[in-house]
Amino acid sequence: MIVPLAIYLHIPFCRTKCTYCAFNTYTNMDSLIEPFVDALIHEIRIGGESKPGQAVGTIFFGGGTPSLLTPEQIERILAAISTYFDVMLDAEVSLEANPNDITQEYLSELRQKGINRLSLGMQSANSSELKLFARRHDNDQTARAVSAARAAGFDSLNLDLIYGVPHQTLSGWDWSLQQMLALQPDHVSLYALGLEDGTPMQEWVAKGRLPTPDEDLAADMYELATEKLAGAAYEQYEISNWSKPGHTCRHNLQYWRNLPYAGYGPGAHGYADGVRYSTVLSPQRYIKALENVSDPSVFPHTPATHEAVVVDRSAEISETLIMGLRLTQEGINRKTFVQRFGIDLVELHQEVIEKYVNYGLLHVDTEVVRITQQGRLLSNMIFRELV
Amino acid sequence: MNRDNIRNFSIIAHVDHGKSTLADRLLQVTGTVSARDMQEQFLDGMDLERERGVTIKASAVRMNYRAKNGEDYIINLIDTPGHVDFTYEVSRALQACEGAVLVVDASQGIEAQTLSNVYLALEQDLEIIPVINKIDLPAARPDDIAKEVEDLLGISSGEMLRISAKSGIGVQDVLEAVIERVPPPKGDLDAPLRALVFDSHYDSYKGVVAYIRVIDGKLNKNDVLKLMATNARFEPVEIGIFSPGMKVIDSLGAGEVGYVATGFKTVRECRVGDTLTLDVNGAQTPLPGYTQVKPMVYAGIYPTENDDYSDLRDALEKLQLNDASLVYEPETSQALNFGFRVGFLGLFHMEIVQERLEREYDLDILATAPSVEYQVLTRTNEMLTVDSPAHLPDEGTIQEIREPWMKIQIYTPQEYIGAIMDLVIKKHGEYVTTEYLDKSRVVLHYRIPLAEIIIDFYDRLKSVTRGYASLDYQFDEYRPGDLVKLDILVNEEPVDALALIVHRDDAYHKGQKLVSKLKELIPRQMFVVPIQAAAGKRIISRANVSAMRKDVLAKCYGGDISRKKKLLEKQKKGKKRMKMIGSVELPQEAFMALLSLDDDD
Repeated sequence: MIVPLAIYLHIPFCRTKCTYCAFNTYTNMDSLIEPFVDALIHEIRIGGESKPGQAVGTIFFGGGTPSLLTPEQIERILAAISTYFDVMLDAEVSLEANPNDITQEYLSELRQKGINRLSLGMQSANSSELKLFARRHDNDQTARAVSAARAAGFDSLNLDLIYGVPHQTLSGWDWSLQQMLALQPDHVSLYALGLEDGTPMQEWVAKGRLPTPDEDLAADMYELATEKLAGAAYEQYEISNWSKPGHTCRHNLQYWRNLPYAGYGPGAHGYADGVRYSTVLSPQRYIKALENVSDPSVFPHTPATHEAVVVDRSAEISETLIMGLRLTQEGINRKTFVQRFGIDLVELHQEVIEKYVNYGLLHVDTEVVRITQQGRLLSNMIFRELV
Repeated sequence: MNRDNIRNFSIIAHVDHGKSTLADRLLQVTGTVSARDMQEQFLDGMDLERERGVTIKASAVRMNYRAKNGEDYIINLIDTPGHVDFTYEVSRALQACEGAVLVVDASQGIEAQTLSNVYLALEQDLEIIPVINKIDLPAARPDDIAKEVEDLLGISSGEMLRISAKSGIGVQDVLEAVIERVPPPKGDLDAPLRALVFDSHYDSYKGVVAYIRVIDGKLNKNDVLKLMATNARFEPVEIGIFSPGMKVIDSLGAGEVGYVATGFKTVRECRVGDTLTLDVNGAQTPLPGYTQVKPMVYAGIYPTENDDYSDLRDALEKLQLNDASLVYEPETSQALNFGFRVGFLGLFHMEIVQERLEREYDLDILATAPSVEYQVLTRTNEMLTVDSPAHLPDEGTIQEIREPWMKIQIYTPQEYIGAIMDLVIKKHGEYVTTEYLDKSRVVLHYRIPLAEIIIDFYDRLKSVTRGYASLDYQFDEYRPGDLVKLDILVNEEPVDALALIVHRDDAYHKGQKLVSKLKELIPRQMFVVPIQAAAGKRIISRANVSAMRKDVLAKCYGGDISRKKKLLEKQKKGKKRMKMIGSVELPQEAFMALLSLDDDD
């Protein structure tokens, strides 16, 4: 079986930095966008030329704020991918966007250029939370963005929400969920707020200016969401992800199934041909790394590659497990696992699996190993023992 | 050199008042250490000492100095440890001197803890030279502080030096004052040798190196020597002085300070305070003041990983080479497996040993709450010694439990008498008497169970007296007490390493506090974990650690799986430091919970 490649493109620019965000993003660098696009196209070319005829099943514009790119820039990037890779006809092509950057006209152009899935950073319906996050939109703008996306012909639309936020209440969360459901997205991602080092949010909590998010309350929020989404006919397929039938995110599934993906752009991550790698973080250094390159690269390396490690068998096993067990329905298929690693999973981790089956966090049958409903919120406990 | 041109002194100071800085300057001014070799806190060789800004081991250094009067002098600076746990060592180091420089911070004034050492120095008839330090700081009040010291010690404020060791102001005056005011050593050069051992360290080539002050007579490199208390005989491997490194010389005479490499393999044969004399025609009477210090505090020390047991044993063995007061023996705990019961001079000593094991020997260890040594009289009239609550026999077999009592002296400004009285009574202490030092300062004498003062007494004394009181203590006697074992049960199972011996009237209160503290410290597990305290067989307190509900990773950005994995690996490592008690993971801190009870009531 030929496994198509997934391509992640990191667009590291933002108008403003959100207070919880520790991603590789930069503000006030708009002048670098055009040289960055050139460099990105160059990197794609180097990548494709080092693996002629490689099939590509999904493309994901992530960030940062990919919606800061013009339709023309996006078109050029997609054209490069089509030129140097073998993009499948039914490829999923996603783009992350901020609700306030986009107009219907812009979205229509994106749709025409080949973007077929849109992910909007709604984050919350409450203005106080959006303000705390330093988001530049309010709930009305989210609603308008969704209408614009539908009018532009997007029939696959995701909305992100964040829970477990300081000062957030269960009823406030309920309100965000209601507002989100009213917009009828095809896909929903719910993320527990993580306090990341170096973010204002983390500093405020550390200094006591914000209360530490209550873990039990966050658990209640998750359970409330699980219930409401099930009621609205969304199917949970991953710890943090729900979709309407046929709308799972194929790009992210590639990660969770521990299948190959290439990452292009500054601070992108990739995993292909047994190598896990990341690229240089700074956009300037990224652009520089791709200037005047003539020597061919060895896939998946490119001149922008910063760190690369060969994934040995035991690392591949543990990565397959900690990613695959996030898939709440699919879990880890025991037969596939044997085919891939030549050993039965239940035999390999008998002790851990038995322990968590007894605690009711894991389900095992002849076909699959997967986490239970109860295991979703406690999945880390299991993962820790598998790394 | 003529004995009249020798001066032996030490520096007494509160932590942070500038003792080490002054010592550093003196070494520089006298050219003992070149600028190139100089580093801060030169005499404090251990990293731990540098970091904590406190001296743990004594040391000595010989400085050569040409005074303003044109004469050359040998000045020996004997550095002393700075904590009440080491009072005995301090007293021996002071016994090796004729004078002491008392360093007082010009903005903070004399701190009460320093006084205890000043009194030790006065007991030894030492000449005290008060020095007001840090006069160049904006907050300095040198005149007020000098007046304070005058009131306290009756030394005229006019005689006090005002210096800044940091910027070098007045450092030379300190040396001049040492020469003028500290008397030269007396001692009888023709009498049989008597030299005081005031500290030692272990050298893998030369064996135990004793730091000595020759009081009477003379010591030559070929003499056969004897330690009077232990009766250990030896021919010195070498004798020498610290200048500041070890430098071999042929002889040391009365009044001089130096070292003797004994070749001994353990410090037990060469204890601090012992008198060194000649094997043949030696002195008849030893120097006064020798005591064999005994551990006051015991705690279990266990490797976090069972595999590290033999490494821990080796490390303790090595530490003991330099620290005769450290004693240990193997111990087994149901909860913690194999480890050691270790005896310490006090809590600070315990802390230091723990830190050295972790840092110098790179061990992950776990220490249980400290305990004292009890005497248990059984119904069959057998007398048992119990230094671990876990080993207390069943209540039904016990006739009587006796615990060690201490005589304590608290030096304090008068206004805190009431607060101290309350504290001591709460800790089951008995008032003995009050002595007035002057108009404003008193010494309060009490008797108190040792177990009550090893946990947080010193800290609480400091807090109720805003740091002004200082504490001294000596063993008094064993007395019967109404004592019970307090068991702590985690998930319905008693954890031996968490057991305590407490006064019956405190059992309820302490049990409750411990249970709520443990509830805070024990991380949530996958199931509800009951924590209970039981006195005898009766449960007196209970709390539940509720089950963990959420332990999940947030968004993974752009396929950054490595980061996720690293995070999980880090958490896994953290978990590994926990101890499994049945199916419950207990953090290290749980075993020290007793020490961190906030005792506001």
